[in-house]
Amino acid sequence: MTQSLAPRLLGAKVKRVEDPRFLLGKARYIDDMVRPGMLHAAFLRSPIPHGNVRSVDVGPALAMERVRAALTGRDIATKVKPIVCDSTFEGFKSSNYHAIALDKVRYVGEALAIVAADTRYIAEDAIEMIEFDIDELGPVASIAAATREGAPLLHEHWGDNFFIEDLLEAGDVESAFRDAHGVFEINVSNQRHSGIPLETRGVIAEFDSDGVLTMWSATQIPHMVRTGMADCLEVPEHKIRVIAPDVGGGFGPKGHLFPEELAVCQLAIETGRPIKWIEDRREHMLSTFHAREHYHRVKVAYTEEGVVTALDATIEVDCGAYSIYPWTAAMDVEMGLVMLPGPYKIRNFRCEAQSVATNKCPFGAYRGVARTAVCFSIERIMDQVANKVGLDPVEVRRRNLIRSDEFPYMSITGMEYDSGSLIESLDKVCDEADYKAMRQFQEEARSEGRMVGIGVSVFTEQTAPPADKGLPLNFSWDAATVRMDPSGKVVVQVGTHSHGQGHETTLAQIVADELELPLADVRIAFGDTESTPNGIGTFASRSAVVAGSASYLAAVSVKENLTERAAHLLEASVEDVEVKAGRISVKGAPEQSVSIAEVARISYHHPELLDPSMEPLLEAVATYNAGPGTYANSAQIALIEVDAETGKFKILRYLVVEDCGQMINPTIVDGQVHGGIAQGLGGALFEELIYDDEGQLLTTTFLDYLMPGATDIPNIEVSHLVTPSAFVPNGIKGMGEGGAVAPGAVLACAIEDAIKPIGEVFVDRTPLTPERVVRFIEAASSGGGVE
Amino acid sequence: MSNTSEVRIQINGEVFERHVEPRKLLSDFIREDAALTGTHVGCEHGACGACTVLLDGEPVRSCLMFAAQADGMVLETVESLASTPANLHPIQEAFWEKHGLQCGFCTPGMLLTTKALLEKNPDPSEDEIRQAIAGNICRCTGYVFIVDAIKDAAARCSSEGDR
Ligand code: FES
Ligand code: FES
Repeated sequence: MTQSLAPRLLGAKVKRVEDPRFLLGKARYIDDMVRPGMLHAAFLRSPIPHGNVRSVDVGPALAMERVRAALTGRDIATKVKPIVCDSTFEGFKSSNYHAIALDKVRYVGEALAIVAADTRYIAEDAIEMIEFDIDELGPVASIAAATREGAPLLHEHWGDNFFIEDLLEAGDVESAFRDAHGVFEINVSNQRHSGIPLETRGVIAEFDSDGVLTMWSATQIPHMVRTGMADCLEVPEHKIRVIAPDVGGGFGPKGHLFPEELAVCQLAIETGRPIKWIEDRREHMLSTFHAREHYHRVKVAYTEEGVVTALDATIEVDCGAYSIYPWTAAMDVEMGLVMLPGPYKIRNFRCEAQSVATNKCPFGAYRGVARTAVCFSIERIMDQVANKVGLDPVEVRRRNLIRSDEFPYMSITGMEYDSGSLIESLDKVCDEADYKAMRQFQEEARSEGRMVGIGVSVFTEQTAPPADKGLPLNFSWDAATVRMDPSGKVVVQVGTHSHGQGHETTLAQIVADELELPLADVRIAFGDTESTPNGIGTFASRSAVVAGSASYLAAVSVKENLTERAAHLLEASVEDVEVKAGRISVKGAPEQSVSIAEVARISYHHPELLDPSMEPLLEAVATYNAGPGTYANSAQIALIEVDAETGKFKILRYLVVEDCGQMINPTIVDGQVHGGIAQGLGGALFEELIYDDEGQLLTTTFLDYLMPGATDIPNIEVSHLVTPSAFVPNGIKGMGEGGAVAPGAVLACAIEDAIKPIGEVFVDRTPLTPERVVRFIEAASSGGGVE
Repeated sequence: MSNTSEVRIQINGEVFERHVEPRKLLSDFIREDAALTGTHVGCEHGACGACTVLLDGEPVRSCLMFAAQADGMVLETVESLASTPANLHPIQEAFWEKHGLQCGFCTPGMLLTTKALLEKNPDPSEDEIRQAIAGNICRCTGYVFIVDAIKDAAARCSSEGDR
């Protein structure tokens, strides 16, 4: 008799187990929850970008019927400590980010007061009644304004407006430039935009008579938020419980501790009533952390063969008003600094980087932190080199990429790339696209006077990184508990959070495989600090690697315990039994077997049948530490057609090759790639948070901040290579962010290429709005150079 | 309570009679007064489609209407499609099968927009599908699998109709 093998779930396109509740409209997001006696909060937000707060009088608001409480910065000054998050790098300047502004406001949208009333409508009425007096100071609404002589200072005691200035130098830049065949400089920028999840932020806080503070929040990082709360509030961490229920998209912006969370909690503490705050869209645009605004200047040295030998760069990031928790205002520059060479073998490198404080919303994490900007820069450089030495953009990349036999590869900036398939993925994406035919199509189209362009990009994706570069914490690990119950079924509790990524399915696939159980016997739980092991959370393409591996390791250890007990019951030695398809049997004698369910029941209810050395509990908690992180890689190619009159362009094809090692669930991987690319395209095409010179945000609705819709995003053709991680169990790599990284670089390359028959032009920035494309076309026809 | 009026709205076959302020949004009425939280609010200014419901069979944005304006009308929300995982509507089955959702926040609006589309046009082309959902923002999926799901839903609905 042969045992039938359980079908292997790892790598299978399993339908998501979590979907029914979302399809039925029965998911539970923050705003779907009601607590007994709950009040509704609203914030008064500063309309002034920079000023000294003279007074905030909530008296008239409190005098209104059904308004129950209000707090100002002064009211909480002695009770709630400001959020402080410093980089460990020398010279980083600290900022105090108050839950409610105290003496000074530093951006439009900063909270000045919080009000709680019986309904949200009344709370908003009450906000209108609050009187405040702010002495306006000069607004600092750009890096230029922040760094000019005599600029107003955001944080006076700093003496300037720099959070940090850093320098990294490696190799011999000077000689490389001296020996170069050619040298040029590029000046590029990416505009401020952000993740903009469809669900805004939301918080419910409740303080019970045992002194336990429970906060439900739409967060990606419940445990880290809890620690941040304990740092700032007068409630110790063991009396804080953070619950992140269903969350309507995260993408980074929901991976921070927010001042609003502290203010809502403090109001719950002071009133003894549950308080709900649901952010509206305008508040979201004003005050949920922004991202992406980078300015790079890079000098490039290259050889006759089109090989880049040195970079000499400056990275400036407009970080807004405060350093944010837990990533600091150094995150983007530090990440940019080390990732700028990207997938290319550049051995001489110098980079200066500056985080600048301005009177804008603080700057935080968004899918592909800094990598969108560095990918844009390095790919713009490759395209320039290709032009200068007369190579095809694909060929120039091939000459510069790290070859597969060179992994593990230590980058010039000290990053350990464990594995990859850069040239192979570039070749594969060209094959899938039929690159030759594409070029031929382009030739034919050009001969008819049409503007058709091809853009390409290839890049490394650092996944599950340690972030040990200047961040105040190292988050290279996460944890999972696997708990088998007396019926032999399993709940896995993880420290990460799923808000669309499908962990309820993918983590169950890993654990079910290891324990030889059907998928339906494994349930994944997360999002409650009370019932999950201490962990870190979901961001940085880390969950599949760290939560996946922690779950796997915990399952391995439960399986060992099961095997030991079964062997005892079967009177066999541990080496002689095996677990298969829900049963444990003596090898070669499958009739001598016991089911996992039987072993579990005996273990819990009849421990006397086991050896006294065996504990009844069938649970294990494990942590997994991904060390330096593991690297996925991707190549993307697009074919576009530009309308010379309007500057609008149509993406005719968009192809991707993704190599994220062993896939857990290819359907979910493809969904992540699509979503990332759509976000990347949104940023490349039109998404922009625009401040005027006075520090007012002009894009506070979806009518002026354009979100990509179904008619903006093309069909995206995804294929795969599989280069397993060099060290992660099961060969898994992360991949959540990658899609978002390259679209700007791809489209810039494609537009230049489309315009080429008219003339040379350098596409130096995003978004590639029709007006801007028209300007590029005009510049090309008048001999280049665009302002 | 001052300045309220009585409204009577039929939602998913059940009549809800409430006194509401004139400024109360229909989306809030559905979520708070009828406690049907499957209808989501993503922008409250008519630009994202998350709050889409069917009003007398036509998709409307419930954040752009006052509850009082819907007095006497018949509404369908996502909860009307099915009540348990065992009896999912073919459109829901299709979204499940084709991975047409990630965080799920846009999903109710997408499902109802799809329902209205397929009632008018049982066999839409990819272009027609993209046009039909152009006002429903999904931040997670990049729309590729939503388009696949709607194609699959069309096939499922028409084969059900054939039966
Ligand atoms: S919430 Fe109604 S359209 Fe966005
Ligand atoms: S699935 Fe998240 S917004 Fe569509």
